[in-house]
Formats: sequence, structure tokens, C-alpha cells
Amino acid sequence: MDETPKPAARPQLAHGVRDYLEKERQRILATCTTCGKCSEVCPMTPYNEKKGSATARDLAAGVLQLLRTGSTDEASLGWIRACIRSGCCVPACPENVNPKLMLRLAKMIATGGMGGEKFIPVKEDRDYFPRIRAFAQLQLSEQEIKEWME
Amino acid sequence: MKITFWYGCNVLRHGDIIHACIDVLRLLGYDPSPAGGPDFCCGSTKDSNAVAADGMASRTVERLNKRGNDTVVAWCPSCHLQSAEFHEKGYEPKYGMQYFMELLYEKREQLRPLLRHEVPMRVFVHRHMGFHDMVPVNDMAPALLSMIPGIEVVEDNYRGPGYMCAHLATVPAAMTRLVRETEARMRRAKADALVTLYHQCQRELVGLEAQGVTQVFNYMQLIARSMGLPYEDEYKAWKKAGPEAARAIDEARLQKVGIQFFDRAVLPELIKKTPR
Repeated sequence: MDETPKPAARPQLAHGVRDYLEKERQRILATCTTCGKCSEVCPMTPYNEKKGSATARDLAAGVLQLLRTGSTDEASLGWIRACIRSGCCVPACPENVNPKLMLRLAKMIATGGMGGEKFIPVKEDRDYFPRIRAFAQLQLSEQEIKEWME
Repeated sequence: MKITFWYGCNVLRHGDIIHACIDVLRLLGYDPSPAGGPDFCCGSTKDSNAVAADGMASRTVERLNKRGNDTVVAWCPSCHLQSAEFHEKGYEPKYGMQYFMELLYEKREQLRPLLRHEVPMRVFVHRHMGFHDMVPVNDMAPALLSMIPGIEVVEDNYRGPGYMCAHLATVPAAMTRLVRETEARMRRAKADALVTLYHQCQRELVGLEAQGVTQVFNYMQLIARSMGLPYEDEYKAWKKAGPEAARAIDEARLQKVGIQFFDRAVLPELIKKTPR
């Protein structure tokens, strides 16, 4: 019997989420007309350091390009990076695309979250969860930690 | 009525808020089963690693299912959003979600007589653009605060970008602008205190009190004060202590965390100033 350790299979997204995200990606690509209303009303566009001369339509088209191909221009990446889910774009969209989800999906792709190339760097904080546990140890009783957190 | 009170992760910086929420739920007739911390992470912090986010979310839905309650009441807006936008689409939650403030608002007539102590204060409510479309928190919070004897809520239409300050803080220029705008409006309105709706905003803005700019409270802290609940805002005390924060914590608790870890991972946050 071959006892050579086998490499672990690469973990996959649960089908439900994977299917949902793919369905949304396809829906957005089919629905968005790149009118740019989402970008026009976005309160974070002034903080897009890479915007240059790109118009609102250019930025919307750049996001679609990312959803379609996995890469896009710097100006659109700048907008994707600046998005913090204000949600003003949702009622502004004449096609009911849900640009908030469109930008979130774009950010997931651009940060390498879906397994592709990473265009937006992400600051890794190895203490993120240990820090939360530390605050819990400082403020909750041992019994509360056991009953509420485990 | 048995419910699961899913407080989230980062609010663990504010034990007083968690304890106050649980007390309020009990006084309103609920039997809450609290759940939170990293093992109950909604997965929203891991958008840059969808496999990790998926693992966290599916595990959390399973764990919340195991609690066996029909209703999960969320404190954290990110958890609440993540549930609606992902958990319900990709997993099989066997519970319905409600946002904590929404529940308080629904039960406000039961809450009103519990608010017995005066809290004389003119407050400016810190509000964001986002999340309000899902739960009208920007209207509910002032309504709840106005029920507290002595509280006067400043009328103001400013809404910061995003849905809470944690994300805004990743764009420093936007965060600074929000703080400056808020300070200017508070001065014009002669407000005594800034009131946050979420723990994440409280964490980012409480530095303003440590920096001597204004008092900063989360709305639940004011509700708790009016109810006479005894919880101390230790996070604020530690922020005020700054580099001396470790001295404000008793030795036994500090030992649990480890002084090296405290110095490396906790202290930097406590001495961080709110940009202005």
C-alpha cells in the first residue's frame, strides 16, 4: 500500500457561494450599460488617486473589464480600491445592477480573493483575531468566553 | 423568547456594550444566547481570500444553526449585511436575522420606562450613508436617544461615506475629512458629545475624547447609563491612558493576554490618535 503523503486538495468555495457569485458576475456583465451613474454619485471618487482624466463611464467600463477578464486599468482599480460600500450607487443605477455588489465582487477579484492575479495589495494583520481574543480575555469572564465564544 | 444574540468579533473591545445589550434584551423579555468572537466570524473580513471567507461563513452559519433559535439578533452591521448578501445566498441558515437596533426600536415602548436616569447632554449623532438602506438606523438611533431623559439630539443632515469608520479609516484623507466636518458641525451646534452607532466607529472616534476634543459615546452606552446599568467603558479608559494603558489593567488580566502580546498588538491601537 502506498503510504506516500498526498498533497492536500486545494480548498474550494462552497458551491452555493461560488454559484451565487458567478451568477451575479454574469448578470452584472449582461445588465450594466456603463452609463457611469454609479461612479458619478460615489462619495469616494475624490479619493481615487489614480483617476486621472477617466470619466465616470470609463470607470464603470473598467470595472466590467475586470469582471470579464480579471484585469483592468489603474483608474478603475483606484475606484475599486476606494469603495467602502456607501451604497449611494444602488438607487442611482437605472438598470438595477446593484453596483455596490459589482464593486465588492470587483474588489474580491482585484485583491486576488478569487484566486487570480492580485492588483490591489492587502495589508495582512497576523494579530487581527488574536487581538480580538485578547480584548475578550480582558473584558469577559472565563465562563463567558467558554459559553459565548467556543 | 429564546434568541441568539450574535454580537460579532470586533465589539469584544467593548465588553460594556456587549453586557449592556444582553441586559437590555433580558429586560425586554428575551432569553439571549450570546455568540461571537473569531469562531463566529461572518467572513466579511476576508474578501481578499474567498476560500477563507467561505470557510468562516459556512462554519458560522452551522454554529448559529446549532444554537437552535429561530431568530438571530445581530449587533454588528457587517455581520448583518454579510448574512443578507452572502449567507442567505450560499448556505442554509435555519434562522431569521434581525438587527439589534431594529429590535430596540420595535420594542421602544417597553424600553421607555426603563430609561429612568437623566443624562443631560446635547448630542451629535455620527451617521454614515451606508447600511441605512437595509435598516433605517440613521432615523432609529436619534429616536431611541431622544427617549432618554435629558438628552437633546442635534438635527443635522451630514452622513459620512461608507457604512462605518473601520473601512473609512483605510482611506486616511476621507477619514480626516469626516472628522473635520463632524467637529465643525458639532461646534456650530454647540454639542456636548458625539454619539456613534457602531463599535467600529466608536473605536475610531473615541480618540477624540482622549485628545480632549469632545466626549464620545456609543448610543448603547447612553441607554445603559440611563437604565442605571453599571458597566464601565474600559476601552475609553485605556485610550485615555495611552502609553500607560497597561497600568490601568490589573495584573491578573494582563497576564492572561501576555505583556509582550499586549505591547506588540494591543497598545499600538490604544495610543493611535484619531486623525483630524
